[in-house]
Amino acid sequence: MKIVRQQTNGHPRLPQVGTNSRPRKAGLFPFRFLPAVLALLIAAIISSNAKAGVITIALSTAPGGVTVSGAQPTYSAGFGNVNSLGIGSPAAGVTIITTGVAGGVIYSTNLNLTLSGEPTPHAATFSVYMSSNFSKSAALIAQSCYTGCGTGTSYSTISLNSGAPTPIVPLPGVSDGTYTISLGLLVADANGAGATTGTDSATVTFVATDTSNGKTSSVTLNLNNPSENLQTAVGLTLASAAGGLSVAPGADYSMDFGSVNGIGASPAAGLTIVPAGGGVIYSTPYLLQPVFSGFASTTATLTVYVSMDFVHPAILQLDDSAAAGGPYTAISKLSGAQTSITSTVVTNTILTRYLGLFVSGVNGPSAFTGSDSATLTYTLTVP
Amino acid sequence: MRKQLMILAAVALVFGAVNASAATQATNTNTISPTLKINVTVQDAIQLTLSTSAIAGSCTVNAGGGADYNVSFGTVDALGINPATCGSLYAPTTPGVTNSAYYSAYVLTPVYTSQAVATNTVKAYVSTNFAKANLSVVYSTAAPAGIGSLSAMGTTPATANTLLTNAVSGTAQTQYVGVEVAPTNGSATYTGADSAIVTYTLTVI
Repeated sequence: MKIVRQQTNGHPRLPQVGTNSRPRKAGLFPFRFLPAVLALLIAAIISSNAKAGVITIALSTAPGGVTVSGAQPTYSAGFGNVNSLGIGSPAAGVTIITTGVAGGVIYSTNLNLTLSGEPTPHAATFSVYMSSNFSKSAALIAQSCYTGCGTGTSYSTISLNSGAPTPIVPLPGVSDGTYTISLGLLVADANGAGATTGTDSATVTFVATDTSNGKTSSVTLNLNNPSENLQTAVGLTLASAAGGLSVAPGADYSMDFGSVNGIGASPAAGLTIVPAGGGVIYSTPYLLQPVFSGFASTTATLTVYVSMDFVHPAILQLDDSAAAGGPYTAISKLSGAQTSITSTVVTNTILTRYLGLFVSGVNGPSAFTGSDSATLTYTLTVP
Repeated sequence: MRKQLMILAAVALVFGAVNASAATQATNTNTISPTLKINVTVQDAIQLTLSTSAIAGSCTVNAGGGADYNVSFGTVDALGINPATCGSLYAPTTPGVTNSAYYSAYVLTPVYTSQAVATNTVKAYVSTNFAKANLSVVYSTAAPAGIGSLSAMGTTPATANTLLTNAVSGTAQTQYVGVEVAPTNGSATYTGADSAIVTYTLTVI
């Protein structure tokens, strides 16, 4: 018996003709319910997965963090230019942490880890390991943090062992949701034979583990977008010494000897008078702190010269000494033959040096009173 | 022109490879050169110090003691009976009529700097005289040959005595100062401790 479905316009639908010319048993399936059925099926599948403990984690860009590219289960991001002194501006989404960090700095960024499919009341922990470590593993050390990530003490070095990953979110774990974690890159301070520079990359694997049934989900983050570029860095800071004149930040620094005279009467606080032929020397201690990293050399040279002399050089002269009592020697005025302060300084050494201002006591037509200034340029060079 | 632009661009790239966030620190380079600006204001200055003479037996000039400096001649009398505890003694030419004198060498050191001229004077006067009428301050700008070489020091600024003229800055100058004791008698008190203050003025003109 052929069934002809009656159409609403009153015309009967003709049976299809062809190899499969049997009329469809359209009347046996209610196609108008197809969307609802599909929805029920999907819900049933999800419910089934949830009941089975099939969890999924995904990575995404966190507010204020680096951009995470890719899709589950493979992502990429990177820290870009880094150095162990934290000098310069970090890449967008990266912050430099120096507090609680010894032997370098931590470049840190936030990442979002999203957990889904976790059946109630199950919970999951997050852990991480280096599935491919940096080749410059002594200088670039990946770390992770979940809470209190503003200080280096909250970071843990990420395990190189997939069998013993580093916990990020430990027991009792968390339920479905998005969690912001910090991925840190400790850039270790090093000079000498072990120092290295250049680009590098690594791969980090994040793992979510259902604490009830042990099922896991993992994603990888390739730290190659952009690659990490380990750079050399140098810095030289000047600072006030106890009992000395204040060294104020300026362009770049400034120091004010105040009112001086050829007798040495009434020196300002922070100044001591050292007798000198034809006048006096006003002396003050100050501090020099050179820092450098990523160099094959472990020592550097530190020089100084008068890059802009006083307008009255016959009256005023800048002297240098290693000791308060002297001897004081006139600082060179030649950039090509600068006064050497040290040729063997190591990084992070705080040097106490004494800057002397010789004031001539000359009288007569060549005498001078009034304000004057000069500029010293210090140069730190790592060979 | 195009080639020049390319060279300029290449130079810019080379310099751009050095990342310097400030002149105190940089990356991708091996040298850094921060600067320190030194500010100063030079003032002229002037100084006059008194000190003990190196001449043997001279009275000690000490700081303080009710003035900037002090010197003590010890016990004196008009007949020169008490020996000089320091310095020297001139006994009266005519005991009971003329004065005795106890005096000592000392050193004046004028210092002046950043003055437009080097011409100067050092003057002195007794700004606070002895309370006892039989005592007076005397001075000499050179080693006295006798009691007559000691002159009474003026007792007002207007009658200040010139001790030095155009002294070289920083050069020690030996001077002499002392006390004359008059053989005065009467109802007033002429014995006991007393003191006077001499004011010295260095002027660079």
